[in-house]
Amino acid sequence: MTGSFGPTMDRRTLLKLGGTGLALTGLASLAACSSSGGGGGTNASATLKMLYFGDQKAATTIQKALQPQIKKIDKNAGLEITAINGTDWNDFIAKVLTQIAAGSAPDLVSVATEGLQQMAAKQMIMPLDSYVTKDMSSLKSYFDDVHPALVESMMYQGHLYELTDSFNAGSMFYSTDLYSQAGLTAPSDKWTMDDFHNNAEKLATLGSKTNAFDWVVRLWGSWTSFLYANDGNLLTEGKYSGGDWLWNKAYADNPQAKGRRGGWKWGDPTANSKAAIEALEYVIELQRANLSPSPDVGGGGTLQGLFASGRIGMTIGGGFWAGGLHNAGMKDGSFDVQKFPIWKSDKSLFGAGGYGIFNTSKNKDLAWEVVKMLVKPETFDLVYPGNVTTPARKSLMTADRYKTTGPDHWSVFWDQLDGSVPISAPPYYQALATSLNQRTTQAISSGNAKAALDGMQSDLEKAQANS
Amino acid sequence: MSTATETRVTASRAKSLRAARRPGARRAARREAVFGYLMIGLAVAFVSVFTLIPILVSLGLSFFSWDVITPPQFVGFKNFTRLFSDGQVLSSFGVTIVLAIGIVVLQIALGLLLAVLVNNRKHKWTKALFRTTFYLPLLASTAAVSIFMGYLFDAKFGLINYYLNEIGLPSVPWLVNPTTAQITMVLVVVWQQVGFTFVLFVASLTSVPTDVLEAASIDGAGPWRTLFRIKVPLISPTILFATVVAMINAMQLFDQPFIMTKGGPGTATTTATISMYQTGFQNLQFGYASAIAILLLVIILIVTGVQFLAARKLVFYQ
Amino acid sequence: MTTLEVESTLREAGRRRRPIVKVGSVVGMIVLIIGVIFAFGPLLWTLSTSLRTPAEAFTNPPQWIPTDWDFGNYVAVFNEIPIGQFFLNSVIVTVLIVAGQTVTCTLSGYAFAMVSFPAKNTIFGVFLATMMVPLQTIIIPVFIIVRMFGLSDSLSALIIPALGSAFGTFLMRQYFMQMPRELGEAARIDGATQFGVFWHVYARMASPAIATLAILNFSGFWAEFYRPLIFLNSQSNFTLPLGLVGLQGNLGTGSISVVLAGVILAMIPSVLLFIFAQRYFIEGVTAGSFR
Repeated sequence: MTGSFGPTMDRRTLLKLGGTGLALTGLASLAACSSSGGGGGTNASATLKMLYFGDQKAATTIQKALQPQIKKIDKNAGLEITAINGTDWNDFIAKVLTQIAAGSAPDLVSVATEGLQQMAAKQMIMPLDSYVTKDMSSLKSYFDDVHPALVESMMYQGHLYELTDSFNAGSMFYSTDLYSQAGLTAPSDKWTMDDFHNNAEKLATLGSKTNAFDWVVRLWGSWTSFLYANDGNLLTEGKYSGGDWLWNKAYADNPQAKGRRGGWKWGDPTANSKAAIEALEYVIELQRANLSPSPDVGGGGTLQGLFASGRIGMTIGGGFWAGGLHNAGMKDGSFDVQKFPIWKSDKSLFGAGGYGIFNTSKNKDLAWEVVKMLVKPETFDLVYPGNVTTPARKSLMTADRYKTTGPDHWSVFWDQLDGSVPISAPPYYQALATSLNQRTTQAISSGNAKAALDGMQSDLEKAQANS
Repeated sequence: MSTATETRVTASRAKSLRAARRPGARRAARREAVFGYLMIGLAVAFVSVFTLIPILVSLGLSFFSWDVITPPQFVGFKNFTRLFSDGQVLSSFGVTIVLAIGIVVLQIALGLLLAVLVNNRKHKWTKALFRTTFYLPLLASTAAVSIFMGYLFDAKFGLINYYLNEIGLPSVPWLVNPTTAQITMVLVVVWQQVGFTFVLFVASLTSVPTDVLEAASIDGAGPWRTLFRIKVPLISPTILFATVVAMINAMQLFDQPFIMTKGGPGTATTTATISMYQTGFQNLQFGYASAIAILLLVIILIVTGVQFLAARKLVFYQ
Repeated sequence: MTTLEVESTLREAGRRRRPIVKVGSVVGMIVLIIGVIFAFGPLLWTLSTSLRTPAEAFTNPPQWIPTDWDFGNYVAVFNEIPIGQFFLNSVIVTVLIVAGQTVTCTLSGYAFAMVSFPAKNTIFGVFLATMMVPLQTIIIPVFIIVRMFGLSDSLSALIIPALGSAFGTFLMRQYFMQMPRELGEAARIDGATQFGVFWHVYARMASPAIATLAILNFSGFWAEFYRPLIFLNSQSNFTLPLGLVGLQGNLGTGSISVVLAGVILAMIPSVLLFIFAQRYFIEGVTAGSFR
């Protein structure tokens, strides 16, 4: 963004206008915006503004906790954290965009996999390469502690855009109560789709008050998990070149870092590939056979409530369910988790979260220090009290952490990352998500997976062309 | 208008025309005009700055392509030509109109029915009790309503299907089937919005002058006659208002379908505003989104205009 | 007719009509009761679920009146968010908006209904048209203007843009148009000023309308979410709906029962206001509406 917003375009000018002249001038003002904070006078002291997707109580706590650290770096600096939580990713994006439009973009932002490539492609957030390289010695312990799959998911076109602090892998949660009632033993970590189906059929014999399986229509953890296990995807999987600057320095000896390059390159859509049609037809089949009800759309709050009240045998959830189910009143021990079953492959999905710096920030150095602070181990539980997400740091994944909330096999969350692929979130993620919602519900109500997926294929091709 | 009113109107117009011819009449008219402008001054000021100007800016945007990050680029009428060949967006307008008609008809009919019934109650405390109860749904935010209605209408575990099953009826796939999803949306919105029309009509009915009602009952008019020949015409300005506002709001329906079904199943509950929101805030095409907003504005204007035209025949002002 | 004859005619007519009226009254009552069940049912479910844990939220048949009243969820609401601050902010914002709109809408509504001035209908038409563009379309320009006035991240950002309202003006205009013009004309002939006519004659007749507008505005702005979301940054400025969203937790991990407890808590002030407004405004006016 060029030009300055403040003095040249003041309220008198805007009010004087009428008719079309007004519209055009108004647009000119929107065009000429910067993050200089034109509305009020900015002085030399920097107050970093951060917008993040999480708990407001945590925001205030971190803000207080980090003030002394910030003052140590720069006496005049301050940090102001606004949390947007509970609501959709949509509300969050709306707020960010409005602030950018008004020339008051935040300095720091938390973006999950869903929005990362969109923001990177639009150059809203900046590559952290130079900062990471500069501080590699102090960051080595961070990289040692974080699975390379997560780091790779934060890269785009060879650059690293965020430091990740959390993730959620799509694992299979099951009710131990219902399992024992149906005479089933706990699934092993090598269980297959056949095992899953058999278990589901046994669970169905428990009567109509419960469902063997249930799910929610969304990109993370819906029929997409089955798609991944079927060795498929909605978009062609590829990798950007580059990234050696990171892998060689931070993950030199890590076998899990082999083959990782410059971030996921999402290619041509494969929505109506054989693997996709099979996967979608499978969940439709589950519904026909009464093994699962028709899914809800959206947040998954209902799904969690139903699972917590013991009405569902198995469903797809992530680390965030540990805290979620606990908050919903489900007793520790009445549920457990296992890796997603193996179909044609053991590929499974995950999404990650982290912190990035806005390109227009005037305090990038300070912002970088805050980012590093936010990924420290001790910050995690300040930001996410109660196991409401999975820590990216292996050192934080301990039995102690999951003692109160469960599940017993919490190590599955981390183990599943080997061989996993992030959810397909290209720069046109929003259009993809909308199409996924529409076409999936269409398939569920019509029973015709192929027609719906053909439609989705053309939606995605259009979106890809427009992006 | 009835003949009585016509005569009255003609008579008062004749009076004011005669008055206008008198000396000093023009000064009086100017004084009245000044008074008028002063009275509307505050309202006009606030609405202009904070609503009208933003609307003009947004509408101007429809001739541009803008993704918020980079400066807008002028594209002329391209957004509009794209709009008229965009099947998805156009079908969202169809959805909007279908839902709006259902919502408004139910809302006005039920609101009027309940207001009349409550007003006829003899005892003050029953009146107050009913008034409060029917107003309650309006007090919950649309987001909260979407959340708990989502639970109640759940096809498998929801309360509504449970009770339907108890009385022997089959479960309805409320939010799963496209048609029933639309019906559910109408029901959820009407559940709250009836409170709105209800409150309007109650206040209006209370203002009906009692001597007119007494005269009617002396003349031997029964309750139905009184209702249709006297009460309804006397509150017809409020009915017009309620219908116009209900229609404008219904055509901008966003919260409930967005939260409950995200516009699904398929696109069965994707309204025009949802389509606009997705285009703007999700696909970052604010210019195109503004073009959609213009089309919506035009349609609402036409619908409202039609309502006002019909009102000339049906609405009775004193 | 003599008084006696009038009375007996009325009595006879009444006797003829009474059985029909009684049936109508009973049917009416039944309809009202059904209405109450539909209106109140979901709210009762919300209330009773807020008194239990989410795991019990899906037990059917639900316990309409829970056996163990667990106010823990309500306590949790107070623990998790500074609900007192949010409440205060909501009160300030809503009361000021309602008061402000009462003034601007009553004045302008009266003028559009009863006063003649050039371009009246055009101006009113433009007013109406502003209601036809949804908030999402204009939120970005509005935010820019709010910021230009230096109001962002303050309660004023919510209050000042809402002091005028096309909807409110429209509502008051319709109510004023239901009032007879003769009263005003009579007062003018008696020598009252334009404003005097408004103040002494019509304003007091407008009490039900003003009360209605206040009630509708109160519940509307009390529950408002989108503008606070975009305009407010610091938590100390949050209004109730925005603050309550925090109860949902990240990615929906909060307890649904706590969320519903928050919903119930948020509704209470509006209910109280309505009960109060009913008694003093709507009912109080019935007697003196047209005497």
